[in-house]
Amino acid sequence: MNPQNLLIPILLPLLLALFSFLLPRGVKRLREVVSVLGAALFVYVAVAFFGQKETFFTLPWLGHGINFELRLYGFSQFILIALSGFTFLITLYSTVRMAGDPRIREYYGYLFLTSAMAAGAVLANNLVPLVFFWEGLLITLYALITIGGKASHRTAVKAFLIGGFCDFCMILGIAILWSQTGTLRMSDISVVPQGLTAVSFYLMMIGAIGKAGSMPFHTWIPDAAVDAPVAVMAFIPAALEKLLGIYMLARICLDLFQLEVNSAPSLVLMTVGALTIVLAVFMALIQKDLKKLLSYHAVSQVGYMMLGIGTAVPIGIAGGIFHMINHAMYKSGLFLAAGSVEQQAGTTELKKLGGLAKAMPLTALGFIVCAAAISGIWPLNGFVSKEMVFHGSYETGYTIFTIAAWLGAILTFASFLKAGHSVFFGPRGLETAAVKESKSPITIPILVLAGLCVLFGVYNSLPLKLFIQPILAGHAAPGEHIDFTAHALAVFNPIALISMGCLLLAFGLHLFGFKRGGNKAYLASEPIHRLPVLHTLYDWAEARVFDLYEQGIKFIQSLSKFLFRFVDRPIDAFYEKVVVGAGRACTGALKAAHNGLYANYLAWTVGGLVIIVWAIGALLR
Amino acid sequence: MLFLFIIVPLLLAGLLPLLGKLSKRFLPDLLASAAMLFLLVLSVVSAKPLIAGGGIIQQAFWFGAPLNIRLLLDGFSLFMLFTISLVSFAVTLYSINYMDHYGAKANYYALLLVMIAGMNGLVLSSDLFNIYIFLEMAAIASYALVAFGRGHEELEASFKYLMLSAVASAFILLSIAVIFGMTGGVSFGTVAQGLKTLNVKYVVGVCSGLFLAGFGLKAALVPFHSWLPDAHPSAPAPISAMLSAVLIKVSGVYAMTRIFLNVFGLTPALTTVLTVMGVVSIFVGALAALGQNDIKRMLAYSSISQIGYVVLGLGIGTPLGIIGGLFHLFNHALFKSLLFLNAGAVEQSTGTRALDKMGGLAKVMPLTATTSAVASLSIAGVPPLNGFWSKLLIIIALVQAKMHVLAVLAVLGSVITLWYYLVLQRYAFFGKLNEAWQGVREAPFWMSASMVLLALLCVVTGLVFPFAIHSWLQPAADVLGQGIGVALNFIGF
Amino acid sequence: MHLFLLIGLVAFSIMAVLSRDLLKSAISLAVASIFLALVFFHLGAVYAGVFELSVVAGLITVLFITAIALTRNDGEVAESKRHRIVFPLFFLALAVLDILVMRKLLGQIPAIQGAGSGTFSQVLWNQRTFDLVGQVGAIFAGVLAVLALFRHDSPKGDSHE
Repeated sequence: MNPQNLLIPILLPLLLALFSFLLPRGVKRLREVVSVLGAALFVYVAVAFFGQKETFFTLPWLGHGINFELRLYGFSQFILIALSGFTFLITLYSTVRMAGDPRIREYYGYLFLTSAMAAGAVLANNLVPLVFFWEGLLITLYALITIGGKASHRTAVKAFLIGGFCDFCMILGIAILWSQTGTLRMSDISVVPQGLTAVSFYLMMIGAIGKAGSMPFHTWIPDAAVDAPVAVMAFIPAALEKLLGIYMLARICLDLFQLEVNSAPSLVLMTVGALTIVLAVFMALIQKDLKKLLSYHAVSQVGYMMLGIGTAVPIGIAGGIFHMINHAMYKSGLFLAAGSVEQQAGTTELKKLGGLAKAMPLTALGFIVCAAAISGIWPLNGFVSKEMVFHGSYETGYTIFTIAAWLGAILTFASFLKAGHSVFFGPRGLETAAVKESKSPITIPILVLAGLCVLFGVYNSLPLKLFIQPILAGHAAPGEHIDFTAHALAVFNPIALISMGCLLLAFGLHLFGFKRGGNKAYLASEPIHRLPVLHTLYDWAEARVFDLYEQGIKFIQSLSKFLFRFVDRPIDAFYEKVVVGAGRACTGALKAAHNGLYANYLAWTVGGLVIIVWAIGALLR
Repeated sequence: MLFLFIIVPLLLAGLLPLLGKLSKRFLPDLLASAAMLFLLVLSVVSAKPLIAGGGIIQQAFWFGAPLNIRLLLDGFSLFMLFTISLVSFAVTLYSINYMDHYGAKANYYALLLVMIAGMNGLVLSSDLFNIYIFLEMAAIASYALVAFGRGHEELEASFKYLMLSAVASAFILLSIAVIFGMTGGVSFGTVAQGLKTLNVKYVVGVCSGLFLAGFGLKAALVPFHSWLPDAHPSAPAPISAMLSAVLIKVSGVYAMTRIFLNVFGLTPALTTVLTVMGVVSIFVGALAALGQNDIKRMLAYSSISQIGYVVLGLGIGTPLGIIGGLFHLFNHALFKSLLFLNAGAVEQSTGTRALDKMGGLAKVMPLTATTSAVASLSIAGVPPLNGFWSKLLIIIALVQAKMHVLAVLAVLGSVITLWYYLVLQRYAFFGKLNEAWQGVREAPFWMSASMVLLALLCVVTGLVFPFAIHSWLQPAADVLGQGIGVALNFIGF
Repeated sequence: MHLFLLIGLVAFSIMAVLSRDLLKSAISLAVASIFLALVFFHLGAVYAGVFELSVVAGLITVLFITAIALTRNDGEVAESKRHRIVFPLFFLALAVLDILVMRKLLGQIPAIQGAGSGTFSQVLWNQRTFDLVGQVGAIFAGVLAVLALFRHDSPKGDSHE
């Protein structure tokens, strides 16, 4: 293939963005039509690229090893397809969902700009262009969140600051890596993380997992779920940032650094992953708003990917990467379904919703399939990738991580049972009496994503053989088994059986909790989210019945509150208080010094002269 | 031919007050803009080919008879000429609408032209005393321009500026006198030759200190910056733009760099002092800018901070550092003039400079808001705009020169810059439209045209920066990289 | 004598710096530069003294004093037309005086040492032509500044009035 063709995936969305920016606001149809067609073309390009031989493109740039280098190979081809696919689906969805938005021009513009930047980041083969595109994504994210309305500005700044911090770490990591290896070409770098390079590994890891939205860099996501347009949520935190963040993490762990099984970096990554799974899912469980619940799951699921990649065992890595693509599909589907519900019913509060399955059968179907996939139900894609992660973590010998992952699985399923139950089943809420199904541009993306979840589950050999194995091909030890399709859907092994057991447990928990809540006050939805939590503890702490009930609720509640207040909020406060406060203090002091007195200024001048002459004299000696 | 850069604006400045009697607006507007365009074209089309083979010294002629005027043109001075011409062209376009309500337009243009003639003369000078004289010429014109509004605040600012500039002049003159006493000459070649043969490093150190203080005052480096936050906001907006974008760089940074790198030769001691002063300026300027409520004052402090980057880059003295510093100088000329012009447009429309009284202006002044957003992002170093590349080059140069602490500080300074420009954007342009500004209109045609021109240049420079570096910056950086060899080459002339 | 002049110079310079009132400050500056000019005369640097007297003490300072005086009383511009006549007269007188003195002096002063033979004016013309252009420009800037700051039209739309 002609190397210059590599510029197409970057330039095409860029052109679409320019088109949208320049087209006056009054023209409506044309923008949507061109956007959808352009996105379709983008998909075509990505598909056409797939299976091509490894291609390099180099443009001399700054010299000193800083060149504009792109590289197309198995992994980036795969991410490119996913990226373009999501761009297309979101564009289609937005034609209805965002119609009439006063900032529609900017919306499409930034959307495609995001795609262009993401494509650049995926293709980059030099660390400097990578940083360039990576930072660009930060700006478009900021811009897209602000489209949500008045309150969104605060969230946008928060996302920007957190993202900026992570990117800063990444740049620092890259600088260290550069000084250690002497090259910026990503395909030339492969070092063992030791000493300074280990520091570089951790810094770049922060950059990657920060983009993916792992703990403790996740706090903006639940805020954004409320403020930002739901299409943006489905596109960026649910799909794109996971794709990029985990892609980057995989590149770091596989290519740039040689991660060894059970080495310190591997254990750190697995620990952060396991903590993210458990803590975020606890947070998700108590949410009363569908979008917020989904956004905490978006955080929790990252944990699985990190855990999988962190194992450094082939099956774990493959599982992590596979989980990334699966998660992008079902989580976008869920967010889009939530958006569909929000548009029709006017709210996403679980309390007010109920029984929508009849009125919105397609949305409900899509939601249920995606929810089943995220919960890891056989034979959907979530099951396959989660199993692989479980296997991988089990192989490392640190069973504690596997147990944490199982715990996450239980609570995930329980919380989705709660969410699905309260939105689509049960009695109809009074406020949502006249709800109808959404239009086809909204339901089609949801159903397509749900369909993909089924496809990737049942025919898991398709993605595994086509996408995942080529990535690992160069990295697994010679002779090591990297074909995972054989046992992907196998249920008769101890690990799969335990997972199934977990799901049954979760179902039992939900059922019990539901009845509990019903006994007290059937219409009140508050106890529903408490009961399963109690049940978790109840079955977990060996079947004590009624006396531990209240205590359990209190414990979980206070644990949730504790996590919220002492883990979640302090992280938040650090960004908002300490950083901002320090700046204000310095500014105040400087302001006081500039008092407008000429004599004062003259004194500085003369003082400055004396110091400079003294310094020069001292340095000359 | 080079003499045209000085004599054309000077002659036109002489004519304008007379022509102003005939036509109060049209003729001055037309002639001034035409003159600026002429200088811009001259610098690109005629002057650039002259130095294809390296720097030259050109003698001026008066009716065929040679005059004792020798003008030095090399990559560095051409680069500065181009920057001056570009910004003054944009500023003149802007003044067509903006200066209407001040009156005395012809006089205004005349003063502006004298200031430009002074800067051009300074850039083309090949001896220390010439530099001093033209410095004063540009400075006197700028005192008058700062006080052009004739309010009490303007006069006080102008007076303070004059008083501190007098101190700067004294330092510079003293240093020139000492050098003259030692080497018996003031031309670059003689001085460089003289200092090379004499072994007087401590005296040179003291002279460097005096120059650093004198030109540092002109360039508004901390701790010599105190006049700038008063003077720049008080001037009319196009003049603020001119002063911040060009004057402080020509009369401060250019003169300092030329003398230190090409005449004295950069010593490690000077590198240390320059880079430390640069970083201190970055922080003091940025942190002080953070607390300002007056939009132009915030921009003025920001100039101090950005000049810090320029001096930091040049002070490193490595080829990449010099390129980064010069590139940042050029970029800062673009975006800071744009920001001051934006501020002027806002002030003219709303009558206030207080940020907390603005709000939501993006809805009524979309062009101003967009161009200002471009400039803000650019100055904060957001890719792919030009400011990002120059800062990146400086930081890379710092890392290469093993000044890791300074590199980290430079990055941090950039974060603070982004911070206060987000604050500025939020207060002025985003958010809910303040009720009082419902009737506000977008800036008139020429003002908008000038702002759009500068914003486009910011974007284009960012996108094609390798071209900019190869065609304009590399020759300039080569000159500086040669050190005192440049000055020694010109002894024969 | 020297001591007296120097003390005067320093004292008025300090006053110029410390005074919070702009007018007093500007006057002090003028007086200080007159002292400086006297020091120059006393030391034999006659032409330097003349420059100092004409440019700093004369032009710029008078400019400021008048401008500041005019905008006192809360920025209310003095209504009387007197300043329109007084200032140009003063300026004209200064210029004439300047030219006369300079012409006489330039013819008499021996050239700067080491710069070859010839009178000061010859040196100035032959060796330092470029400086002369700059000097002309600087004086020109001063003249334009006077024209600009003492223009007749009242600045409208100016928030400071």
